[in-house]
Amino acid sequence: MLKSLRFRLNGKLVEIEGREEQPVLDWLREEAGLTGTREGCREGDCGACLALLGRRNLEGTGIEWVSAATCLLALGELDGRALVTVEGLAGEGPTPVMKALHVENASQCGFCSPGVAVALSHFLLAEGPRDEAAAVASVEGNLCRCTGYASIGRAARALSSDFSGLPLDFPTRLAALAARGVIPPALAATMQDLPEPASAGGPGGSPPLGGGTDWYVRNTDPAPGLSPRFVGRDPELRFIETRGSGEGATVALGAGVTVADFFASEAVRAIAPGIERFEVLVASPHIRARATLAGNVANASPVADLTAMLLALDARLVLSGASGARELPLADFFLGYKKTALDGDAIIETILLPAAPRAFSFEKAARRERLDIAAVNTALSLTLDPAGAMRGVIVSAGGVGPVPLPLRKAAAALEGRKPSVAAFREAMLAARDEVAPISDVRGSAEFRKRVLGRLLAAHALRLFPGAFTAEELLA
Amino acid sequence: MKDRPAPSALAAVRFDPGDRPESLRNLTGATKYLDDLPEPANLLHAAVVPSPSGHGRRMRVDASKARELDPSVVVLLAASIPGENQMGTAVDDEPLLADGEWHYAGQPVALVLASSKRLARAAAALVRVTGEELPVVTDPREAFARGELILKPRVQSSGDLAGAFRAEAAGGKARWIVEGRAESDGQEHVYLETQGAIAEPVDGGLRVVSGTQAPSGVQKAVARVLGVPMRELEVEAMRLGGAFGGKEDQAAPWAALAALGAYVTGRPVKLVLSRRDDMRMTGKRHPYSTDFRLALDAEGNFLGLELDFYQNAGAACDLSPAIIARSLYHAAGAYRIPAVRAAGYMCRTNLPPFTAFRGFGAPQAIWAMEAAVSKAAEVTGIPALELQRRNLLREGDLTHYGMKMEDCRAGRAFELLLSRNPAARLEAEIEDFNASHADRKRGSWVIPLAFGVSFTKLMMNQGGALVHVFSDGSVSVSTGAVEMGQGVGRKVLVVAARTLGIPEDLVRIERTRTATVANTMPTAASTGSDINGAAALAACEEIRKRLLAFAATFLGAPDNELSLGNGLVLRGGRDSGLAWKDLVAKAHEARVDLSAHGFYATPGLSYDMKAERGSPFAYHVYGAALVVAELDTLRGSSRIVRADLVHDGGVPIDALVDRGQIEGAFAQGLGWAILEDLVYGKDGKLLSDTLSTYKLPDMRFMDFPIDIELLDDAANPKAVLGSKAVGEPPFQYGIAGYFAVLEALKAARPGKAGFFDLPLTQEKALDFLDGGN
Repeated sequence: MLKSLRFRLNGKLVEIEGREEQPVLDWLREEAGLTGTREGCREGDCGACLALLGRRNLEGTGIEWVSAATCLLALGELDGRALVTVEGLAGEGPTPVMKALHVENASQCGFCSPGVAVALSHFLLAEGPRDEAAAVASVEGNLCRCTGYASIGRAARALSSDFSGLPLDFPTRLAALAARGVIPPALAATMQDLPEPASAGGPGGSPPLGGGTDWYVRNTDPAPGLSPRFVGRDPELRFIETRGSGEGATVALGAGVTVADFFASEAVRAIAPGIERFEVLVASPHIRARATLAGNVANASPVADLTAMLLALDARLVLSGASGARELPLADFFLGYKKTALDGDAIIETILLPAAPRAFSFEKAARRERLDIAAVNTALSLTLDPAGAMRGVIVSAGGVGPVPLPLRKAAAALEGRKPSVAAFREAMLAARDEVAPISDVRGSAEFRKRVLGRLLAAHALRLFPGAFTAEELLA
Repeated sequence: MKDRPAPSALAAVRFDPGDRPESLRNLTGATKYLDDLPEPANLLHAAVVPSPSGHGRRMRVDASKARELDPSVVVLLAASIPGENQMGTAVDDEPLLADGEWHYAGQPVALVLASSKRLARAAAALVRVTGEELPVVTDPREAFARGELILKPRVQSSGDLAGAFRAEAAGGKARWIVEGRAESDGQEHVYLETQGAIAEPVDGGLRVVSGTQAPSGVQKAVARVLGVPMRELEVEAMRLGGAFGGKEDQAAPWAALAALGAYVTGRPVKLVLSRRDDMRMTGKRHPYSTDFRLALDAEGNFLGLELDFYQNAGAACDLSPAIIARSLYHAAGAYRIPAVRAAGYMCRTNLPPFTAFRGFGAPQAIWAMEAAVSKAAEVTGIPALELQRRNLLREGDLTHYGMKMEDCRAGRAFELLLSRNPAARLEAEIEDFNASHADRKRGSWVIPLAFGVSFTKLMMNQGGALVHVFSDGSVSVSTGAVEMGQGVGRKVLVVAARTLGIPEDLVRIERTRTATVANTMPTAASTGSDINGAAALAACEEIRKRLLAFAATFLGAPDNELSLGNGLVLRGGRDSGLAWKDLVAKAHEARVDLSAHGFYATPGLSYDMKAERGSPFAYHVYGAALVVAELDTLRGSSRIVRADLVHDGGVPIDALVDRGQIEGAFAQGLGWAILEDLVYGKDGKLLSDTLSTYKLPDMRFMDFPIDIELLDDAANPKAVLGSKAVGEPPFQYGIAGYFAVLEALKAARPGKAGFFDLPLTQEKALDFLDGGN
């Protein structure tokens, strides 16, 4: 519905009565006259509509800039925030990022080019490694049908070496990028703070949206008048904290915690050492920056990657609404296909993970390695007792039933035993028996059963390297 | 024009920063595509109502709910069409709006017009289409069995086929006869810019901006639908956000619908398809099911080949006859085979009419031929590389359709590739890797290429250009070529600048408009720069001739001593003291015509359809590609780890453009071979109808080393400035990806026979790994 909104667009303060549910992409193109941001798919898959979104960081200590798919971004999300489009970046002419792409002929038809330029600009602006691999990974959420990516890759690599020495601290880095024209200096001067929002946040409104990155895929043209609750915008709900101590300690993740926050969290990495390596298998950089963990759970997709991980990490949920709060195991949250324990105005307010460290593995079968929805995914976690036996084994799987499943029989086959070919083979057989996948566009039922067994074998090989071979497990 | 780079330096070629302003406009977001244009005040937005299922009749359309949503909503049906309700060009079997019966899911039934895009789409969703369901056929062989053929089968044959297949035991030479079936699936274009058009009433006629590769085709189609003369319609194509064949014929319906809306309402109408509608409503690359049979003698010489192409044409003819023709021409791939029978059946199914897509029938044929080679290597035990080398096309060979191979570079490309990757080294590379990795296996494949260039429909090999030299010396060039990222504008610009001997920044390439250059052919078949560049060359030469004649008088010098270069009139190769700008100004004062129209019709083409003999191509593009794949034997997933391409690019007009075309086409080919999975349900509905279900190559998929070497000393006398067409040929290199993965699979399951079911997905790989021998 119409709301007062105040945000900065390409450095200039904008105060409007805007349709809060309208995708920012449409507002930019139809009302702001900024057509360099383009619609390629309207589901966050192609990256042609990327823009830079400035928001408070997780810690609440400053501002962070993320690249966002504006087709999945509600206008209401901009209140109290800042947006930079390709026009803003190019305000004083082509930037070094654009020139790097240009000299490699990395823009052919050119339709996707602004999105690619935004993604690579974000690569320079954001925290994180500045190496070639990171540069190339930064455009994993951008589809280009013309170039075959080779020229984009060359440009990305060139940028990573040209800008290898960027300062780590954000204000200094921003100044350095302004000095080198990656961001026009006048624009950069506005990028360190945010305007006050015009409308109050807080409860109320429906549907509740985390980042909206899934909801907008299914609701491409929301009806005017809708008034979503922007859970992801609420600073009170974006937190990661450790509660309690000793055996009962938990890590609490607020409803606004993004997928990127999750993988970057030291507390999460302490629970599941090495979990960050699986981040790239989930969505794309610009989706991970905005999609929330709670949203991933609440959507109840049978193939939700984060949900499979959280199941294996023994997550519990705190649901909270007008009628109060209640806590339940994640596994009990799913009542049927796309049916959950959420009712009324309740949201998943907090996700709780036991803080004790566990060995963790995640596997996913999808058509494409990056930015694809799984046909099947699975996670496994366990601890080893002093005698070397597996304890507290949890196996989860998605895409093999109407909801993300804990595979209890498979886990039972492992529980209390020392890692062995026999134990894992039993678990693989048990898993096949306890799932009932269907055939759809992402794979046949038989394929899903077959690949699930192999992915469980992959867990075993990852968690116990050298202990057995794939051949033994699959024999 | 920069000098052509040394081949090894191709990876290091870069634009000069001042070059190619349109690329910088793209990157800054300044380029306007159709949907970026400012909207006229009284614009109506359009949305299309699709048919509800794969096949039906006694259609009823109930638009009452749409009108209830907003009474200003306009709903147009077949009956609203003032002219002919017909889009078919080869065969009249494709109504613009379904009338009574429908033949595929997603067939346009009604056009909805409203004051906003959101409202138009919401209203379209409320239009109810019902009727009597009829059986749906999606499989081309089933359609064939039912006699559902479009036109007559086409058969090309050469040599003594019976003799070729006579077994040694029967006194013949055939030691081996291998046969099998090669299935290849369709492919969605995924041009990043979806289909669209804007039609606006202007001066009693209509001006149509269309996202099309074929402005004249759109003009003709709209004229037919509206029943007005072509002169009343001006069609303009702006820069397209990708096309790849998908906007050759299939941009016309959307332009015709927008024009229909504008005609009926008298208001401007814009129709831009959503991605999902675009994917559901438009045709794609044709799926084929092909039977192959190959006879070999004891040494591995190919004696005879039989290919039967069951082309899934979809529900209407569209471009299927031209596409099956290209399949037939490429049946033998890059191989010399003395006896060939190639037959093509255009099978009518209840799927959207399949259409042009980069390669245009050649990939399906080359894929089937390569499957035969793979099978032959498996059965004979002769390495595929040896079979390929032994049977490569050679100078002077006659193809099975009777074309003599001249300036044949198949062998040169193949040998150069192998000199870069000696067979023994390649074999050791793979074997060492496989011996030292338990859970991963590598495989490699080399594919040779001979790709014929010219439209397979002879009359289409023509084009025009209009060149104006303005009195200040700057130059405007219009042709029929549509820029869609392939760099045709750049190439035409270079041709004009070089011909007039002036700096490139004096030349502007205009948008493509039917009132400027008329009766143009689609920018397609890789011929865009060959034909339009040659037409621009002709126009520029005409102007050059006039200017030099004037300069001769003006300078009092014999005109055979004069030439144009470096922005000057040169006399004996040296500065005559007369600069280009002064020459133009003075010529203008002297009433010299500074404009010229150029025309080009590709010479030397002939084909006898009855005899199935002739020379349908101006020339061939040659090449060879090596692809190495790595299979994760545990998960069944695979990825490409390196590729090496040797390509015959003639003398590139712009090496960077050609590199981009080679890399981009290769990626699309690999996508078709091992990744992109077009899934239709048995009910004819597209299941992979969004980019979240249809996965095309992304950065990660293509992030492996690709070496490209261009053949040296490769000037092509048959095309403009010694160049060669580059758009489609490199697509075929991606086919090697299928066989590289297959080889890796066979390394994981030694002794197991290969399979030919493209794309080679993880699911099929696991079937192979898990299945019995």
